[in-house]
Amino acid sequence: MTDKSSRREFVKQSAKVVAGAIILPNIIPASALGKGGSTAPSDRIVIGAIGTGSQGTSNMRDFLELKKAVQFVSVCDVDALHLANAKKIVDEANKNTDCRTYDDYREFLEKEKLDAVSIALPDHWHGIIYTAAVNKKLNVYGEKPICRTIEDGKTIVGAVKKNNIIWQTGSWQRSQSHFHHAAELAINGRIGKIKNIEVGLPDGGKGIGTPPVKDVPAELNWEMWLGPALKVPYRGVAHWDWRWILDYSGGQLTDWAGHHIDIANWGAGLEHTGPVEISGKGVYPLDGIFNAPVEYDFLCKYANGIEMHVANAARQPHGMGATWYGDLGWIHVDRGNRISASDPKILEEEIGENEIKLYKSDNHWQNFVDCVRSGKQAIAPVEVAYRAISVALLGEIAMTTGETIKWDPDKEEIIGNPRASKLLSGPYRQPWQLPTV
Amino acid sequence: MKKQYLLLIIAGLLTFFSACNTESGYKTLIITGQNNHDWKTSSPILKQILDETGLFSSEVMITPDKGGDMTAFNPDFSKYKLVVLDYNGDSWSDKTNAAFLDFVKNGGGVVIYHAADNSFPGWKEYNEMIGLGGWGDRNEKDGPYVYYKNDQLVVDTAAGPGGTHGKRREFIVRTRIADHPVMKGLPARWFHGTDELYSLLRGPAKNMQVLATAFADSAAGGGTMRDEPMLMAITYEKGRIFHTAMGHADEGGGPAMQCAGFIVTLQRGAEWAVTGNVTQEVPFDFPSAAGVVLRPDFKEVTLAEALSKLGGYDIAKSTKYLTCLQSNISNAAGDPGKLLDLEKQMVTLLTGKETTAEAKKLLLRELSWMGTDYSVSAVKGLVSDPEIKDEAEYALARLQSGK
Repeated sequence: MTDKSSRREFVKQSAKVVAGAIILPNIIPASALGKGGSTAPSDRIVIGAIGTGSQGTSNMRDFLELKKAVQFVSVCDVDALHLANAKKIVDEANKNTDCRTYDDYREFLEKEKLDAVSIALPDHWHGIIYTAAVNKKLNVYGEKPICRTIEDGKTIVGAVKKNNIIWQTGSWQRSQSHFHHAAELAINGRIGKIKNIEVGLPDGGKGIGTPPVKDVPAELNWEMWLGPALKVPYRGVAHWDWRWILDYSGGQLTDWAGHHIDIANWGAGLEHTGPVEISGKGVYPLDGIFNAPVEYDFLCKYANGIEMHVANAARQPHGMGATWYGDLGWIHVDRGNRISASDPKILEEEIGENEIKLYKSDNHWQNFVDCVRSGKQAIAPVEVAYRAISVALLGEIAMTTGETIKWDPDKEEIIGNPRASKLLSGPYRQPWQLPTV
Repeated sequence: MKKQYLLLIIAGLLTFFSACNTESGYKTLIITGQNNHDWKTSSPILKQILDETGLFSSEVMITPDKGGDMTAFNPDFSKYKLVVLDYNGDSWSDKTNAAFLDFVKNGGGVVIYHAADNSFPGWKEYNEMIGLGGWGDRNEKDGPYVYYKNDQLVVDTAAGPGGTHGKRREFIVRTRIADHPVMKGLPARWFHGTDELYSLLRGPAKNMQVLATAFADSAAGGGTMRDEPMLMAITYEKGRIFHTAMGHADEGGGPAMQCAGFIVTLQRGAEWAVTGNVTQEVPFDFPSAAGVVLRPDFKEVTLAEALSKLGGYDIAKSTKYLTCLQSNISNAAGDPGKLLDLEKQMVTLLTGKETTAEAKKLLLRELSWMGTDYSVSAVKGLVSDPEIKDEAEYALARLQSGK
């Protein structure tokens, strides 16, 4: 054990040495020169990344693919291998060895002078780190779901509003034309007045039982990975698989809410409100450390009479994706360019001049960069992301408590149910706290 | 004193249940005695599984041995509400066949278990009752193959033999008619314990609903790459027949019979066959896509048992007792009395001297949201315990939030 921790200490220290080797940022952020300045390289958005695992580096690559739009200058992760990998990606892109590395987001936010930050972390860290980054007036590209609890979400939304920054959620389906087309047809009444919505999200998979406690690998700062979550021994489960454990995520339901529930809201005009009544049931694994529901099935009623049925795909007639049912027909949309309708002619309809035009973006990462430059709102702004995940979080509360939840979407409160209300926030392990806005 | 009191209660309960079994349960006849499978193992287990519900009172009837005098097998079906066939053997006498047919036509319930769908290939009415069968030289003359392909029900008249199975394996059972009484409330997908995955069944398939299927993956050996029927509901005149293709008996029942999914669908299917409805609740340990759930003693874990095991909780052993508690909490929704009762039992456990730190941590998590003022002082008392300080603070913060 001591050997392990001293090795970890070593990795930590060397990361710090790398960080300390460069005292001053040599890339001046665009914001310092005024947005819209045309001189290279400062015309590029100067950006850093917090959380550089699979999704974090995938986002970095998507940003780097944009022609000279961004320049990464710094990366931060609690896993030294992730960090080294991210630095390599940045250094290769920049053709130098200057990328700064941090193993603590607090130091990163304190020292880095950036235009923007790309953040991809396990959900249980979102509340604290999103809010802290926004409080630093950084523009944020943040992964969905934007929060683990409603309380986290409210705080993040409040911080974005107060600091007036550009926020883009990683709900990239919005930037794909068939999702846009489907949502635009739905919201413009091509299937008549929308009555019901069906959202199919992935079915949960097999558990792994309870693996034995293991030594924490030298590269991983387990204490910092856990952060505000309750302390548990390391069992070889951290990266990726955190999403099957309720301390860090809500499983497939919350993982995918930021995609198909988001699209469903978009096409039904529900993206700035929430349901008024939620009830349903989940199927939970009997045994093992993966305890997120493997099946979920709940109904959300909205004040305008619309009902949204959210369930794992095996329970839905159209499987995965979002389906709007109006009094004249239905439209279904899913990944893989899948779009269909009760009458195929509906899909050929064009949207006229005087109809509702939904925000159009052809590249989710470019849209963020453009908005950071222009100061316009991005296609997946923070409140919209909060409304999408809150549907899933309220569904989770209904399934946990077994109760029919009454929700006030304006006050963002559960009505008349103190027990369920306690699940709106997850108290943090000391000394971690949600930053004040 | 306390122990004696408990024994009295147990004795009372036993009397109650045995009363249910012998007097008020649906009289059930399990027929066995010839089978290419181990009927000596399976038939008493089938009896236990059915009687466990308190709904059935069953007896096992053993036919003459293979080649024996079948005229001697002549049960009075009219005494029963349900006949369970764990039988794959010689033809019965014409008289017995006629009596069984009469029983079903007049509304008797039937359960066809596993290899019973191999039996009586030449008996037309029997094959209409079972819907689909296999082996025994069954082929296109006996009816179509029935299966799911790309989530569509296929009735396939192609020529070919009926009945096969690949290598034994665990497999996922998929609900196909979620609102059928037998399937209502069950997961859409669940793991079944290692079993023969009956495939290429064919038969008249008249008045038959395929309730659940399993994908016969060829990767596992001998698969048809079709979603094969596993659970079927058939009506024959006034009678209802529940057909389960699962449950191959190994020693002690083995994983196919111990599977909670097999047990519970059999219990539900049997009730449906008798009444057309299912009154049984879906138990907390019904398996899901997360993995196989075995009941080595064929019984459901009770809350009392779960609470007694939770005190010595060791996550490395099993989390199922916690899942049982959680399920009871959510099932008690809207009943403050029941919830408070649960809370009191949890607090008793929380403050118990024998209770492990691991168990306390779990209880604190649950109490943090479902607890009331009743829990506060007990939780406060644990904040000073360094082993569970984080969880106690967490619970206390939540318990006192919104005040």
